[in-house]
Amino acid sequence: MAIDTANYQFCVKFPGSLEYIPAVRKFVSETLLANNFDPKFTYRSEIIVDEICNNAVSFGCVSVDAVVELQCMVHGDRIEFEIKDEGGKPDDLKRLTEAVKKRPRKGSPRDMGKKDSLGLEIVRMLSDQITFETAANNLTTVRVVKLREEDGEAEGDEAAAAG
Amino acid sequence: MGQLRIEVTQSEAAPEITVLRFEGDLDNASIRNIGSSFQLIIEKNSTYVVADMSGVSMLSSAALGEIMGGRKALVEHGGDLVLACLSLPIKTKLTLLGANRIFRLHSDIRSAINAYKWEFEGKSEVFTLSMPPALRFVPSARQFASRLAGLKGYSRRDAFRIETIVDEICNNAIEHAPADSKRNVALTLSIDRRKVEINVINASDPVKLETLRRMLSGAKEPPQPTIEDRRGRGLALVKLLSNGLDIDFSEQGTRVHATKLKEE
Amino acid sequence: MDSQIKLEFEDVKDHRDAKLVRFIGDLDATNVETVLEKVFALLCDGYVNIIADFGKLRYVNSTGLGILLHFSKSAQEKGGSFKIANVNENVYEIIEIIGAMSLLQIYDNLEEAMAALK
Repeated sequence: MAIDTANYQFCVKFPGSLEYIPAVRKFVSETLLANNFDPKFTYRSEIIVDEICNNAVSFGCVSVDAVVELQCMVHGDRIEFEIKDEGGKPDDLKRLTEAVKKRPRKGSPRDMGKKDSLGLEIVRMLSDQITFETAANNLTTVRVVKLREEDGEAEGDEAAAAG
Repeated sequence: MGQLRIEVTQSEAAPEITVLRFEGDLDNASIRNIGSSFQLIIEKNSTYVVADMSGVSMLSSAALGEIMGGRKALVEHGGDLVLACLSLPIKTKLTLLGANRIFRLHSDIRSAINAYKWEFEGKSEVFTLSMPPALRFVPSARQFASRLAGLKGYSRRDAFRIETIVDEICNNAIEHAPADSKRNVALTLSIDRRKVEINVINASDPVKLETLRRMLSGAKEPPQPTIEDRRGRGLALVKLLSNGLDIDFSEQGTRVHATKLKEE
Repeated sequence: MDSQIKLEFEDVKDHRDAKLVRFIGDLDATNVETVLEKVFALLCDGYVNIIADFGKLRYVNSTGLGILLHFSKSAQEKGGSFKIANVNENVYEIIEIIGAMSLLQIYDNLEEAMAALK
């Protein structure tokens, strides 16, 4: 097939419930492994997906029929995870803003009392960039970029192209 | 936190569900109020109740006993009481008292309402995957379908069959797409208590479309092992495993739809 | 059906108030309650010193980490401890990057964890 082995995307849309997240993260990690991503990179990506999905479901889903959409965009030098939810309450958006902006040192003791921001802390540590935007209708998109080079991913696409 | 406040409302998303919100200490002094609340709910002929425990700071054994009594009364009237939004200390307390085996616990009100709709209103949960048209993406997609089926109470056998159906339809979609196609394959799974509906949509290759039409019209019998039938076996298998299969062809795309009923 | 996790229990020789708990699978938001129930049952039965063998624990997320910290705190409150051994490098990295190393008692292997029991 003529797909671009260096640039492609796959996507999952699921109801906003925690119970589906394991299946979603495993789908992402199994897809990455099938595309010759390094196991360590894949594991870290799985954690990122898990945490951003947990965040979207726990804080970005208000209505009973809320849906979460996760897009994974693979580029030559990076992978981008983009997650959309219907948007939470103003306090949740504030918390998200603070979590995205702060940048504690890796390994510095955490305030373990603030359990709900632990996930985003981990995402920040494992990724290279995290941003979010909120549309007028409260639809919230969180974007996480993870570069491939530092995890030795450069060989991955060559192997995929050959295979 | 102190004195207990109780609020009783009907869920906007599901008016037949009563939301009972507790705020404060569920202690011995609040037992009478707890009991009265349940009585009031039953008198209003409301029988399905979700208790919002997010505002509970303390839970005594006696208060828990009263809540269990409330549940018993609701169950006798054909309803139920489920608990939602428990903090970790309260959840721990419930676990230590063994009450987690009696009550269904939900992380939030929304999950509790969805669980009700799933069980009593036949609500379906819809999942969509979009993936490039390459065979190496199919295994993770079929395993996703299998996991979801297991999660929603389908037997291992059913989950395996659903996995096979997804596998065969997706493989077929990819093999019959135009060679230069970059359009992603879209897989939709709609799951309810009784059935799973599988839809796969992909780009159409007019030449391969004709082959597909011919294969399908002939694939009524169990597959015969010949080289020419190699691809036809997949859809024949889907026909055998599913409870319904239909296909829409057009120049814009091909949609394959299979239904798998839950094995009772 | 949650993400799969299984716990196996073994007695610890010469320590009647200790239990070895093997974690097998993934620990995440969907199964922390099951784990919470089982480990707290041990604490309440007097097994205040818990050694968690993570040799077959593939995965843990922030919710799982939260529960481990909760176990650690609860065990200490009862005069015991929650020790972790055989952590794989992926799980170790997650614990390390959020700075929980100083809050959890982590050992390279079971022998060291058991030797550290009072």
